[in-house]
Amino acid sequence: MTSRGTSRAPLLLITPAFAVVFVLAAYSLFWLIQLSLTDLTFGQPFDQGVPVGLENFRWLLFDPSSTFWPAARLTGIYVLGTLVPELVLGLGIALLLNRQMRLRSVYTAALIIPIVLMPAMVGMIARLYFSHDGLINFGIETLAGVKLNWGGRELALMAVILVDIWEWTPFFILILLAGLQTLPVEAYEAAKVDGASNWQAFRHITLPMLLPLILTALVLRFMDVLRIFDVIFAMFGGGPGTATTTLPLYIYRTTMLAEDVGRGSAASVMLIVMIVASTLLLVRLRQRVMFQA
Amino acid sequence: MAGRTTMARLGNGLLDLFTFLIVAGFLFPYLFMVSTAFKSRLETFAYPPVWLDFKPTFENFSNIFSDLNILFYMQNSAIIAIASTFLTMLVAVPATYAFARFDFRLKEAAAFAFLGLQMVPGISIVFALFFVAQSLGLYDTHIFLILVYLLWNIPYAIWMLRGFVQAIPADLEEAAMIDGCTRFQAFLKITLPLMMGGLAATSILIFIGVWNEFSLAFFLTSLQSRTMPTTIGFFMTHSGIKWGPMFATATLGTLPVVVFGLIVRRHFVSALTFGAVKGG
Repeated sequence: MTSRGTSRAPLLLITPAFAVVFVLAAYSLFWLIQLSLTDLTFGQPFDQGVPVGLENFRWLLFDPSSTFWPAARLTGIYVLGTLVPELVLGLGIALLLNRQMRLRSVYTAALIIPIVLMPAMVGMIARLYFSHDGLINFGIETLAGVKLNWGGRELALMAVILVDIWEWTPFFILILLAGLQTLPVEAYEAAKVDGASNWQAFRHITLPMLLPLILTALVLRFMDVLRIFDVIFAMFGGGPGTATTTLPLYIYRTTMLAEDVGRGSAASVMLIVMIVASTLLLVRLRQRVMFQA
Repeated sequence: MAGRTTMARLGNGLLDLFTFLIVAGFLFPYLFMVSTAFKSRLETFAYPPVWLDFKPTFENFSNIFSDLNILFYMQNSAIIAIASTFLTMLVAVPATYAFARFDFRLKEAAAFAFLGLQMVPGISIVFALFFVAQSLGLYDTHIFLILVYLLWNIPYAIWMLRGFVQAIPADLEEAAMIDGCTRFQAFLKITLPLMMGGLAATSILIFIGVWNEFSLAFFLTSLQSRTMPTTIGFFMTHSGIKWGPMFATATLGTLPVVVFGLIVRRHFVSALTFGAVKGG
């Protein structure tokens, strides 16, 4: 009974939700853009900024002393360093869980826990686990006989990435496991009759049929990982130096530590543009791949 | 043949063990966190780490209740999360109903507009919101955070609930309307009771999201409206980080979401994918 026509009912029902969301978004984006065109510093009254046009954007993107691009590069490493292992591990573990019948619901319940824990607290806890005499170094020393300096420049980003892998691999496991359970048994039986090996069945049945789901999971996670602030903030605050200063941390440091609201807001606008643009690109890509498949 | 089945059984057993170890590995950091909350200072820093072999103490918990007044921050978190969830549902349920039961111009475009606005990262507008809050005199108030979270909660709720409404046959409402109910009465008497499960699950998921949220709460509050996740700053002192109370707070703060997460575990896959994928 989807009603058609001139009824005003749907409009009336949607308006409150749309008004609230639209007013909130429009109002804050309006402020953000306005701030990005001024030289306001933090601590000044908010109406004291002098308009400077696009100067903040020019500085961010082209000035030799700007560290925007290094932060963007670090964000890229962070995105790839988390999403690729999470997908591979997630798929592998989902396949393992798919053959496990008895304890599956207990296992999936346990895997929800890393996802629901509050990330700020996770970051703080990871800080202790990754300390010199922490849990992680204990494990590594037991296995390899060395202790690593996770708080140093070389490994800090790796530590942050490992925490994300712990938190979010279960995301891929749960989604892909749900997908695996919808795959038709007949296809596998037919393949078996034709003498296909397990690997061939995986390569030619499982993977193609799971592909739309894999891409959906990747796009959703991509949108999320670009904005991660709390875990990194709690673990290293963007440091040591700029070793973990991804774009969200860059925005925080520019606005609050360098007290440059204008440049910080310009960086915020850039982050929004990058998220929207790359997500649209990924969604497009996803549609093309699925169309060909 | 007998040899092969034994081998297969052994192989299966090994894979089962491997699976168990992996899942235990994901759970371990959390369990270790809970155990650390009950350790004395000495045991917290013991190397090699102690896991179960220690004398539990409630000293860290009594510390955060008396010195930090942690109940105040839990109360703030609860007020903000419950109020924001309630307001979200109040406007999202009618909107979802319209999306699920009516055809209208620009319907899909409107649905995607909601999703698009949801993509704006909190960290990129939080400082603009900081100035908004100051200009409105709403900095460090519950109400400002409650409203700000609606920007993300409402689109999320609409996408989540849509599937639940669509799963209820429209024929049921039609039958009630033939019997003389108005559409609104039909919704109240037929559809609403049937979507209670979905409504509860969505509410819980939104509650979890608000309860855990950090960057907006951290920069838009100072003393009066500070929430649980943003208390992390209190543990960093000049003499180092107070790990014991920190772990006690983490244990206390994550307890409700772990319980809630387990309650709604059947809906978790839909929750993670905005309802795009149904869970098993």
